[in-house]
Amino acid sequence: MGYVRSPRTDSDLIGIWYHVASESGSVEVATCPVKSIALAMDRNRRDTMPSSSGLLAHSAMFSPAPQTPSPSSGKKKVIYDQDHRGPLSTDTVATLMLLQADNIDLLGICTVSCDMWAKQETAYALRLLEIMGRPEIPVFMGAQEPLLNTKAEAQMRYEMFGSRSLGNEGYLGCFAKDAPGRDQLTPLPPPYNLFAQIKAQPEPAADFIIRTIRANPNEVTMYCGGPMTNLALAVMLAPDIVPITKEVIFMGGGIHHSTSSVNVYFDAEAAKIGFRAGFPKFTLVTTDLAEEVHMQDDGKVDDIVDHAHPPIADLFREYEQKPQRANPQRKSFRMPDEMMAAHTIDSSIFTGYDEMFIDIVTHDDGHYGDTSFWDANWKDEGGELAGQNNPSLKAGRVQVLNGIDKKRFRELFADLMTRPIKIK
Amino acid sequence: MSTTRREFIKTVGAAIATSQILPEATTMGAGPTPLQSAPKRKVIYDQDNSGPFGTDILGTLMMLQADNVDLLGITLVTGDAWMKQEMAYTLRLLEMMGRTEIPVYPGAEFPMLNTKEEWQLRQQLYGGHRLDPWMGAFNRANGGPNEIKPLPLPPPYERLADIKPQQEHAARFIIQAVRENPGQVTIYAGGPLTNLALAIALAPDIVSKVPEVVIMGTGFHEFTNTFNIFFDPESGRKVLRAAWPKCSIVTVDLAEEIHEGDELAPGRRMIEEIAARAQSPISDLFRLYAIEPLKKNPTLNFFRMADEMIAAQVIDPSLFTKSESMYVDICTTPGPRYGDAMFWPKNWQEIPDAEKHAVSAADRRVFVNPRQFYLGPPPSAGLVNVLQEIDHARFKKLFVDLMTKPISKA
Repeated sequence: MGYVRSPRTDSDLIGIWYHVASESGSVEVATCPVKSIALAMDRNRRDTMPSSSGLLAHSAMFSPAPQTPSPSSGKKKVIYDQDHRGPLSTDTVATLMLLQADNIDLLGICTVSCDMWAKQETAYALRLLEIMGRPEIPVFMGAQEPLLNTKAEAQMRYEMFGSRSLGNEGYLGCFAKDAPGRDQLTPLPPPYNLFAQIKAQPEPAADFIIRTIRANPNEVTMYCGGPMTNLALAVMLAPDIVPITKEVIFMGGGIHHSTSSVNVYFDAEAAKIGFRAGFPKFTLVTTDLAEEVHMQDDGKVDDIVDHAHPPIADLFREYEQKPQRANPQRKSFRMPDEMMAAHTIDSSIFTGYDEMFIDIVTHDDGHYGDTSFWDANWKDEGGELAGQNNPSLKAGRVQVLNGIDKKRFRELFADLMTRPIKIK
Repeated sequence: MSTTRREFIKTVGAAIATSQILPEATTMGAGPTPLQSAPKRKVIYDQDNSGPFGTDILGTLMMLQADNVDLLGITLVTGDAWMKQEMAYTLRLLEMMGRTEIPVYPGAEFPMLNTKEEWQLRQQLYGGHRLDPWMGAFNRANGGPNEIKPLPLPPPYERLADIKPQQEHAARFIIQAVRENPGQVTIYAGGPLTNLALAIALAPDIVSKVPEVVIMGTGFHEFTNTFNIFFDPESGRKVLRAAWPKCSIVTVDLAEEIHEGDELAPGRRMIEEIAARAQSPISDLFRLYAIEPLKKNPTLNFFRMADEMIAAQVIDPSLFTKSESMYVDICTTPGPRYGDAMFWPKNWQEIPDAEKHAVSAADRRVFVNPRQFYLGPPPSAGLVNVLQEIDHARFKKLFVDLMTKPISKA
C-alpha cells in the first residue's frame, strides 16, 4: 500500500461530519473551523443529503414515519447485503462467519445480482440457513438488475476496452456470456441437495433496509458484500437513513492491484450513490488488501474439514479440499468478504486505515466503474503530503483498511468455522 | 386493453367532433355526450408540480377537470422545484379545487446522481445546452430541499393546506397501484423520471402491466437536451429503455408549436377566454399569473404547452394526428452530451438512401437527428411512440373547455 499511515484526523473534515450529524439532530457539536474544501463538502452534504430534522420545520405537512425500536441485545446489529454465490465462495464463507459469531445480531440477509443472479443467490441463502439451523433469519431478495448496466453493454465494453482487473480476471459475474438467465433456477448440489422450505420475504431488500435503519437509529451496520444497488435504492427512497446508519462496510475498488472490481463495475451508478451519500462511517476493503490473504494459504482448509461440524465440514471438503487435491496448482481465491466479516465481528484485527476520498467513474467507456482515490489530508499545509491532488467536488469519504493481523485473522476464521454450529 | 383503448379514442373523438365551436361552446361535461358513458382511464399523475402557475400546474388542472380520468394519486418529484415545495402547492391546489380525496405521495427529493455544483461546472466546461438555461430546483433563487416558501396565491388561498400528504413513498404507491390494477393504470410523467426509475428498479414486473406511459421531454431540433431528462439522465435512461407496452413522448419540438399566450380566435387569447369564463379558483389563477403579467408586458413570451400536451395525450389521444415508432436512448456519460436524447427510426434498415439524403433540418417535424441517421440503435435502446403532430384547433378547444367548465367534483 502506498498510503500506509496511522489513522489521523483532520479538523476541517471532521467538522463536516459533525455538522451533518447535528443537522440530523442526533449529535450536538460545535462546528469546527471550516476552510475551502470543507465549504465545498459542506455544500455538497447539504444539497445531496436532506436531514430528517429538516422535517421538523414542516411537521405540519410531513409527519415522521412510525418507528418500532427493537430491544437492544447488546450485540452488533448487522444487515447483511450480499451477492450470495453458492455453493461455496467468499460470499458464502462470510455468511458462515457471521452466522457463527456470538456478537452479531443478523437482522436480515439481502441478496443482489452480481456473482450470480439474485434469484439463484436467494435460493442458496435460504437453503444455507436451513442446513445451518437458522431459518429464523429473514431473507430479502434485492435488485435483480443493476441500476443501468446491462449484460449486452458489459460484454461489449469488455470486448472493446478489455478487462481492467489484473491477474487475468475478466470477471462479469452473471453477465458472463455463458451464465444462466436471470430467472433460471438451477438445482442446488450437496450438501444443499434441495430448495429450501422456508421462503424469502415479500418485501424488497431496499424497503427492509430503510425500515430497519429507521427503527434502530445509529445502531445498524450495513455489510455490503456485493454491488451497492440495494443500498443506493434505499438512499434514493429515504435519504434520512444516511446520518442514522452506524457504519457501511463495502468490498470493492482498489489503488494498486486493480482500480476497479466487479462489485463496483457491475453497478457503477449505485456505487457512486453509495460512496457520495455521506454515511457517518464508511469502511472499505480494497482488492489490494484482500489479495494479502488467500484461502489455500490462510484458510487452513484441511483443519476445517477435519474439525468443523456439518454442514461446514461438508462444504469445505467438497468445494475447497477436493478441488485443491485434484489440482495442487489451483490458486484459490482471495478472502475479501471474509475480511469484511472479520471487520464486522472484530475490527481490532485490522492494523490501520487511511482516511481517503473516493469517487466512481460512470462514463460509459473503458473506465466505467473505475475508482479514484485521494488522500483526505490532501491539503496538509506545509506537511509531508502538501501538494497532493484535490478530490472531486462530490467525492465521498471512506476509511480504507490498510493492514491486517494475519495471525489473528486466521485464528478467528478457524475458530468460527470449527466451533459447534450455533443455534439461535 | 387494446379494444378498450380503441373504443375510448373513438368515443372521445366523437365527443369532440360533435361539440360546438368556441366561443359558443359550453362545457365538455354538459349535455348527454358519449363521453359520460366511456370508462374512465385510471391515471397516476407523476409531476414536478412547481407553483403557483405554469405548465406543471396547468397539466394538473386539466387532469382534475377531465371527466374521463380517474386520478388514482399524484406523485411528486424534484425537478422544476424541490419536492417539498411542490407538495405545498399541490396540497393547497387540491384544497382550492375541492379535490382533497386525491392522495398525494412524496417522491424523490434528489436526482439519481446529478448535482447542482457539477451541473454548473459542466455548463462552464462545455457551454450551455439550450437557449434558456432553466435549472429548476437548482436555480439560484431556490433555497434548499427542505425550504418551503409561502404560497404567493391570492387570499383566501395563500395559506398552507390543512390536508396532509401520504406517508408512503411515490415509488411504492406506483408499484402497488399498478399491481392492483394490472393493464389498467396509465402513468403520466411530467417531470424528471426518478420516481418511475425507482419503481421499476424495485419491481421490474410492473413494466409489462402499465398500458401506457406518457412522458414529456427529449427533442430533435429545438434541443436534444431537455430539462426533465438532463436533470436526471440516469433515471431517464432507465425509464426510456424499459419495455413498456407503450411509451408516448411529447418532445419539446412538438410542445413549442403551441404556447399558453396563443390566440384561440383572431384577437382573442386562450388565457383571456379562460380568465373571463372560468370559475374560481381557475379564473383567479389565470388573472393573477397570465393576464396581469401580460398587461404589464404586452410582448410577454408565454411558455410552450408541454405538460398540457401530455395531459391531452391521456385525456384525448385522438388530438395527435401523427406519431412514429422510434428507438431512443439517453447519454449518461458526464461529458458535454450528458442527458442528450438520441433517436433512431424503428425501420432504419428499410429507409432508402435517397430519402436519407433528403432529410432537411428545416423541416421541424423531421423525425431523426441527421447525425445518427445511418446507424442502428444500440442493443439496450428503448422503443417509444414519438408524437409528431397535434391538431392545434382541437387541442386549444380541449384546453379552454377543461379550464372553463364547472369545477369538477370528486
